[in-house]
Amino acid sequence: MKNIRLIPRLDIKGPNVVKPIQTEALRVVGNPKKLAYHYYEAGADELIYLDIVASLYQRNLDFDLLKSVAKNIFIPITVGGGIRSISDINNVLRSGADKVAINTFAVKNPNFLSQAVKEFGSQCVVLYVEAKKRAQGGYEVYTDGGREKTGLEVIAWIKKAIGLGVGEILLTSVDRDGTRGGYDIELLKKIASFSPVPLIAHGGAGSLHSFEEAVTLAKVDALGVSSAFHYNNFSISDVKNYLAKNNINVRII
Amino acid sequence: MEKLETKFGLPAEVKFCRRCVISNQRPNSAVEFSHTKESKKQTIHFDEQGVCDACRVVEKKKKIDWLEREKELIGLCDRFRKNDGSYDCLVPGSGGKDSFYAAHTLKYKYNMHPLTVTWAPHVYTDWGWKNFQAWLHAGFDNILFTPNGKIHRLLTRLATENLFHPFQPFITGQKSFAPKMALLYDIPLVFFGEHEAEYGNPIADASSAKRDWSYFASQDKTKIFFGGVSVKDLKNKYGLLDADLQTYMPADPNDIERKKIEVHYLGYYLKWHPQSCYYYAVEHGGFQPSPERTSGTYSKYNSIDDKIDDFHYYTTYIKFGIGRATYDASQEVRSGDITREEGVSLVKRFDGEFPERFAEEIFKYLSVPEKDFPLASRKFKQPMMNREYFMQLADQFRSPHLWKKAGGRWKLRHTVWGGD
Amino acid sequence: MSKKIKVAIVDYGVGNLYSLIGVFKFFNIDVNVTEEAEILNQADGIILPGVGSFAAGMRGLKIRGLDEVVKAIASRNKPMLGICLGTQLMLTEGHEFGNFKGLGIMKGKVVRFPILADNEKIPQIGWNKIFPKEPGAWTGTILNSFKENDQVYFVHSYILEPKFEKNILALSVYGGHTFCSAIRQGNIYGCQFHPEKSGQAGMKIIKNFINLIQYGKA
Repeated sequence: MKNIRLIPRLDIKGPNVVKPIQTEALRVVGNPKKLAYHYYEAGADELIYLDIVASLYQRNLDFDLLKSVAKNIFIPITVGGGIRSISDINNVLRSGADKVAINTFAVKNPNFLSQAVKEFGSQCVVLYVEAKKRAQGGYEVYTDGGREKTGLEVIAWIKKAIGLGVGEILLTSVDRDGTRGGYDIELLKKIASFSPVPLIAHGGAGSLHSFEEAVTLAKVDALGVSSAFHYNNFSISDVKNYLAKNNINVRII
Repeated sequence: MEKLETKFGLPAEVKFCRRCVISNQRPNSAVEFSHTKESKKQTIHFDEQGVCDACRVVEKKKKIDWLEREKELIGLCDRFRKNDGSYDCLVPGSGGKDSFYAAHTLKYKYNMHPLTVTWAPHVYTDWGWKNFQAWLHAGFDNILFTPNGKIHRLLTRLATENLFHPFQPFITGQKSFAPKMALLYDIPLVFFGEHEAEYGNPIADASSAKRDWSYFASQDKTKIFFGGVSVKDLKNKYGLLDADLQTYMPADPNDIERKKIEVHYLGYYLKWHPQSCYYYAVEHGGFQPSPERTSGTYSKYNSIDDKIDDFHYYTTYIKFGIGRATYDASQEVRSGDITREEGVSLVKRFDGEFPERFAEEIFKYLSVPEKDFPLASRKFKQPMMNREYFMQLADQFRSPHLWKKAGGRWKLRHTVWGGD
Repeated sequence: MSKKIKVAIVDYGVGNLYSLIGVFKFFNIDVNVTEEAEILNQADGIILPGVGSFAAGMRGLKIRGLDEVVKAIASRNKPMLGICLGTQLMLTEGHEFGNFKGLGIMKGKVVRFPILADNEKIPQIGWNKIFPKEPGAWTGTILNSFKENDQVYFVHSYILEPKFEKNILALSVYGGHTFCSAIRQGNIYGCQFHPEKSGQAGMKIIKNFINLIQYGKA
């Protein structure tokens, strides 16, 4: 069995790393450069760097900040937040990103995804999905940092995006975000069952067991983590050792 | 240049605070039961540097010795604490993030024995109700008072019709409620949360934690108005009884004097940060934000339990040019959660958004059907409220110095982002 | 005091070069990212990077006339490091979307991963181990610092199939399938994985390559 990747996620707002709860309110939890380096040294397999207010404030992410954060971090970094054009992607790659994550703009202009794939390759384009459970069943796609409804159904949207060539799916549960109550296994399992591209889970990582069940029950390919790491509930080694003990292959440095 | 008419006694020149995004049109909390069509508003004060009072208060907050203030709180609690099983303080609230924090801190950190009391929202949102329950399940006794639905609706309609202020019955009721409950239950200490000065009401209040009596106690019962209608007319023209209006009447200040009831702002003693209250409420009680973005703003965690809230802020937008995003953003700028620039872009994007999500339900709520209100319904030009009528009403409350018509659409003459 | 070496990265229009530049900067080397033959020829060592399809890669090189340049540099046994697609192009032919001629620096072809055990996903995206053909086979190569538990980062759907055993430098296993993860011929190296994205383990490989350029040995 291949290695499961453990990926700390940094939500960026202005000069800070913040940690929302259910995508709401933005408590500051750290300094982007320090935190990113800390995770890199501690054995993170990749990093996710998302400017979570870029779409809300209708601006671009801070490329200079990204450059300073990415410097001297030699693992893959996926960057997202307000990506709206080919030149935005170029700027992000130029500033240290290896992959780009796109949500809001892609929902409004799905063809942007195929454009990006054509220009930069599938391996560079990650579909970022904010999924919220509907009262009447099913899940709805949200944009603008978990704020705007789209009327789109998550599964249908993901299938469409895969057809347009995205290389990976980063799925975050709006409901679980910041709660440390476990990933949304039901939803992740459904997506993993049909997705030919890797699925990165995010939203709700909490107990050590929650990491394990995302892999064994939902069959995700990678684990995105925010609160559990930012609040020092566990170290990266804690999680990796636990997974290894449960027969899940991970890279241990 | 022609001089434009200003309604409600608002300042003729529109200015925006240099630091936050509030405008000088923001009315201070008024004494609601003297509020009529003719009332002139007192508005937030800007100093010579163009900075509003609320920002100045926050500035002052930075110099406050919070350890000292906490000592004062501990002293106050020690003075009132009861260990015989009875309630020693009253905490009015809705179970929102602020009252959650207030009640929880008083009970679990300062060892008080609060009774929480809640004045019901006009129309509960699902998540508002759930949060209210979660609050109580975190460990509090609570009295929920729901005013007579019929009367409440009628007064809400009158307030909307005459003052374009649907929230008035809630505000009036809520303000009188806490002191009255304190009297009823013999609880001599009442804790409100944030201090109103934080939002721009006269700075003089900020130094003292005790509420000004004039806010909730009144001397002369005949000079009392509800929904912009005098008590006399409410009884004679609309068929209301004294019993119907009792709930909204403020407590007798003499009674309060006699029983030595003290009202304090917890925000005077503890540094108040609304976003931190949100995190606190989530972490200690499972508070849930609204599942959808609140109309007219970007936030999901602020004041989310009453469906009529959306309309309240829409009416402030019409009357003062200040929508919910402006209120939320101003507060967050002052707390240092966002920059002024970010606030401006949020206001530009969300302020004044029409509250679609509960509109039909609220129009129904604001209607005065004959079968329910045989006497009162005849006093209305159009007893059944609908969108068209609501928007026509709105137009009557647009002050010319704030609004102009451009291309058949209403536009604010002055916006915080500068453009049109 | 060692002489200042000139390292050039071949820019042929594919892939993101910025992390590569960052790695060399870390080692105080200012790389030249270029498509100019003269600079490439004068460099003491070159990197052939790349992501994307075989055909697009070859097209990018050919249009710039760089296919001949790179082949010539390789024939002079100048230190060269291929990364990912760059490595694949070093072989004779590639079978992605058809049959395309590669640079032919080493004989072999590039083929797609076969159907894998446990329905393992293609492309391989993530970390994996590499190992030598036999113990000690990495002495004197740029992989000499590699420890048993070190892992490196892969992103690929196609794999290297060098014709000659002697060109196979490293092997890996994915989805139950053993494949070649690095090739070598003299001073010419090619990694299927991305050393510039492989943390400390990858950094050491890059350092060894720099040493090779600087001192003539890795």
